[in-house]
Amino acid sequence: MSTRLAERSLALRQKDRRRYLLIYAGLTPFVIIALFPIYWMLITAFKQDPDLYRMENIPFWFNMAPTLRHFKILFFQTNYGAWIINTMTIAVWVAIITLVTAVPAGYALARLRLPGGENIGISVFMTYLVPPIILFLPLSRVVATLGLQDSWWALVVVYPTFTIPFGTWLLMGFFKTVPMEMEEAARVDGCGQLSALVRVVLPVSLPGVLTSVIFAFTLSMQDFLYGLAFVAPGDQKPVPVGVPTELIRGDVFFWGSIMAAALLVGLPVAILYNFFLDKFIQGITGGVGK
Amino acid sequence: MTTASLSGGPEPTARAAVVSLPASARSRVWFQSQTSRRLAFGYLLLAPAALYVLLLVGAPFLFSLYLAVSDANVGEPVAHFIGLENFRSAWEMDTFWIALQNSVVFLVVAAIFKSLLGTSLAFLLLQEFPGKKLIRGLVVIPFTLPVAISVLAWKWMYDSQFSVINWVLSRLGLIGQFGTDAWPIWLGDPHLALAACIAVNVWRTFPFSAIVLLAGFTSVPLEVLDAAKVDGCSFFQRFRHVVAPMIFPILMIGFLFDTVFTLSDLSVVYLLTQGGPANASKILPVLAYQIGIQAGNLGRGAAIALFLVPLLAPAMFLFLRNLRRREY
Repeated sequence: MSTRLAERSLALRQKDRRRYLLIYAGLTPFVIIALFPIYWMLITAFKQDPDLYRMENIPFWFNMAPTLRHFKILFFQTNYGAWIINTMTIAVWVAIITLVTAVPAGYALARLRLPGGENIGISVFMTYLVPPIILFLPLSRVVATLGLQDSWWALVVVYPTFTIPFGTWLLMGFFKTVPMEMEEAARVDGCGQLSALVRVVLPVSLPGVLTSVIFAFTLSMQDFLYGLAFVAPGDQKPVPVGVPTELIRGDVFFWGSIMAAALLVGLPVAILYNFFLDKFIQGITGGVGK
Repeated sequence: MTTASLSGGPEPTARAAVVSLPASARSRVWFQSQTSRRLAFGYLLLAPAALYVLLLVGAPFLFSLYLAVSDANVGEPVAHFIGLENFRSAWEMDTFWIALQNSVVFLVVAAIFKSLLGTSLAFLLLQEFPGKKLIRGLVVIPFTLPVAISVLAWKWMYDSQFSVINWVLSRLGLIGQFGTDAWPIWLGDPHLALAACIAVNVWRTFPFSAIVLLAGFTSVPLEVLDAAKVDGCSFFQRFRHVVAPMIFPILMIGFLFDTVFTLSDLSVVYLLTQGGPANASKILPVLAYQIGIQAGNLGRGAAIALFLVPLLAPAMFLFLRNLRRREY
């Protein structure tokens, strides 16, 4: 009896194993296609120049000792340090502006049953879909009028145009999931509308608030057009704009340093975004599967 | 009441009232007694976000309409109304038509490839197997990496002399040696440049297609499928009458979202080829940038950018309809 069971489970396990192998075989090309450019960046960043520009050897591994020279050049001979600081400062400001506006707006739209609230919610989200390519020319005038051209402050003003709509939409979804009874209980206990929001709803929605902070950051990092159009001085750029515009000079490419610069910021952003990708998809598909 | 709600008849609010009767009965007292205060409070909370969006998205959008019918220039602060002159001159520009055609080709070809790749990937990821989370996390990296940064990796992979792609193809005997005609220069050849840019867009967004599709599949509750099975539906019938209608709205939204961002993105083409060689890979956003910012002709740049609106409008309209249908 028990041997027959063992045999059966063995057969099952073997069947499973064969199925897994098939799935892995199917997935391998996708993983290679997805990751090869990133692997290529990584190895380029650590290769010595003569190793990069030689075609006789197999290029997929080091033919000479790895080097940190490209990183040194990056930090000591370019504005890379300044770009990182710009990027982080912009991100912090954009996150603050997004939170201060999107949290109350999301709450009002999710909870207070405002007349026309549904339409307002949808139109706020639609503004997320107005492409920057239509807005960047008029916004260049706005930026100039505010006297912010040629400084990263221009981006602090402009990035919330897409982080606020997205954040509001996202938080709306989160606030809808907080049970109404919790808030009512707080009100019965004598809380005002505002303190019910601050003391009860916000703490419970902390994951949502955190998620919208992450998106304020990662969506800002996805921008290229605004940074390209509004920020000209070399030391004012954020990383995604500085690397392609400042490290490429005419026909001279410092591929090692470029790849080092790209990876150092790109990879942490990609990983952070990865963890929140499902929230992003939920956000754009209208909160399906909340 | 039930038949009415099945046919989707009653107002959303009416339906909400039916569903959560006990809760709303309790809260109705203070909601009614403080209606005006509640509304004032609500609009006050909404105001900062609404103002920001109105001032920096709404107003600029209207302003871009105005720019498009003016002779606004970077040098001159005062602009004059010139009617549809900018649209007419764009219409008569050869480059504009090339860019429009390239934009459409880019969108369609990229969509075909990313839906093929995305669908296959989604079906693979739908299975249960060890290490699924890790593989899923690895495969979506192209989408989560900031675009300006990943395009740089491709620019290096497409290098005219040290391209790793060519190294592989050459060792496989598919192309000739460096320096001969059989050595493709991906970004410098008018026949290859647009295809090279499309490939990067497909690489970047096929994980997105896959994840959206996955979200669609997993949103179909198993009970519904089981119920259909019990009722004697075949696999095909279940797919046709249960799965397809349920995932269609999500697919539509993902598809339209991608359309908007593919059509209006300039970073891939701008960073790889700047639209060259000889306009071979020029798309509308790149043309609008070059005329509006680099040549300083704000009016004509805005007019060219606005030509994207009729291309985007159907996508936006469908998007809006889908969104509204889900919103009860």
